[in-house]
Amino acid sequence: MVMSFFRRPEEGGLSQIDAQVQRMINDARHTFDLAMNALTGGPVATIADEVRRTDRQINVTEMEIRRELVVHASVHGGVDTPEVLVFMNMIKDLERIGDYNKNIFDLADDGVSMAEAPDLDQMLGYRDEISSRIALMGELLTTRDEDRARAYIARGDEMRRDFDARIIELLHSTETAMVAVPRALLYRFLKRVTAHSLNVVSAIVMPVDRLGYFDEDTRI
Amino acid sequence: MTDTSSDRVDTRQVPTLVRALVVLVLLYLFLTGVSLLGGGFKSLGKDLVDGLFEGVSNPVGGLFVGLLATVLVQSSSVSTSVIVGLVASEVLGIDDAVPMIMGANLGTTVTNTLASLGHVRHDQEFRRAFAAATIHDFFNVLAIAVFLPIELATGYLSSTAGWITERAIGSSGASFKSPLKQAVKWPSGLVKDLLTDLGAHGDVKGGLLIVIGLTFIFLALAYITVNMRLLVADRVEVAINRALGAGSGIVAIVLGAVITISVQSSSITTSVLVPLAASGVLTLESIYPVTLGANVGTTVTALLAALATGSPAAVTVAVVHTLFNISGIVVFYPLESLRRIPLRLANGLASMAVERRSAAVAYTVGMFVVLPLFVVLVLR
Repeated sequence: MVMSFFRRPEEGGLSQIDAQVQRMINDARHTFDLAMNALTGGPVATIADEVRRTDRQINVTEMEIRRELVVHASVHGGVDTPEVLVFMNMIKDLERIGDYNKNIFDLADDGVSMAEAPDLDQMLGYRDEISSRIALMGELLTTRDEDRARAYIARGDEMRRDFDARIIELLHSTETAMVAVPRALLYRFLKRVTAHSLNVVSAIVMPVDRLGYFDEDTRI
Repeated sequence: MTDTSSDRVDTRQVPTLVRALVVLVLLYLFLTGVSLLGGGFKSLGKDLVDGLFEGVSNPVGGLFVGLLATVLVQSSSVSTSVIVGLVASEVLGIDDAVPMIMGANLGTTVTNTLASLGHVRHDQEFRRAFAAATIHDFFNVLAIAVFLPIELATGYLSSTAGWITERAIGSSGASFKSPLKQAVKWPSGLVKDLLTDLGAHGDVKGGLLIVIGLTFIFLALAYITVNMRLLVADRVEVAINRALGAGSGIVAIVLGAVITISVQSSSITTSVLVPLAASGVLTLESIYPVTLGANVGTTVTALLAALATGSPAAVTVAVVHTLFNISGIVVFYPLESLRRIPLRLANGLASMAVERRSAAVAYTVGMFVVLPLFVVLVLR
């Protein structure tokens, strides 16, 4: 451990943290896929341990990154303060995505199944789109492509409005509770996953004081 | 990240090789300063020198002079290098220098104590930060309380250091062949010749050499620290992250020493620990060994300075500095009952400071300014 001080660091400081954020994103996508698979006909019992283990890993990674950010700020002084603050926000959003994925899985664990539902195709469509958007989130953080980030945020905004509309529709529908309640909860969870991913990507285009307030960027 | 990374400060853009070369040049400047300082004091008249250092022959006086000088320059590396220079020029004897070295060791802890006051607004954060800072103070005070009487009674530190010096470099005669001394002979000679050409002689020339020497030492160490910090910041960050998971006190001590030698400042190492403690990332128990290591690591500067003087006595004093800190670790770290003493004292003072913030200010000002000034003035 002492000799490692004299070796060139393989990854130092914020580069190391960038890599850990990518791992959090991969884990978040993994739990989302598992949770939606469980809800749409996958084997709930066999998935349960993997979902919980990966969610714990997301939480542990968040705590590790926080510690490393404090060490980074202490060693380097105030030079990277804005970046440190951005990372702090970002990992909180990623951890929340992990939590909502677990909430989605809990629906399946509590007996909800949409495997035979008439709107199964729609659910699978949401699953595929949000899953690929979580992956795209990681790519955008690496490439820092502002135009694609704005397009990502614009589409995410549409999706949020769509989920809100569906929840309101269910509030006024005559569907039974067995049909309406799981769907309302699911749309709520999907909306929150989408919203938190927008917060993460907003770091590419918004200054640190307006992170998450992407609707105030007139260019989107 | 994005919006902010393009604003990164330019200091990071200097190539590593260039920055390393700058450090080497600054090190050369530092060693030249030590040489000039010693030469300056040698040129002063005896009466003047005796007058300047009246009072340090009293060990308590010497202790507080060392403390006060370090608080004023905010660097034990500067003050211990000066002490080494004084010994080399035979202005100070080893016996007089040892308490001053101990005082310098204590004086450097004011920096992280001041750093902890920045957390004064939040109780728990301040408690942790203040304890993390004052653990350094308490270790040094306890080490002085144990080893100053032992030194006065037995000469343990100076005779052991003398034995080590003799084995390492040989101490026959008043000097030894020091390659570092040879290396700085030319620039030192240049400055001396320049002053002579400008008409300076005797005490005036001696005084100017002292001022120039001190300036070189101060500026060189300040910029060495800045540049080394930038050079090794990533390694320090990785080392601290790994040490967080280490659990081994010995590893933490060694890491503290290595980091301090790298950045050439114990104050930087210990001040980095204060916000980590304040945020709860590090506990007082895990900070303590890193602090001890920093204490040992900072003695390297005085050793380098001593080697540049060619004086075995100067090297002995520098070794005393290292030995004093190692001896303190041997007493106040391995055994849990003794290890708990500085921890309890630091926690106790921190609790008091949380109850009354004025206690923290009173302690800092009293310990590092009022008391040393009072003692020095009384003994004069």
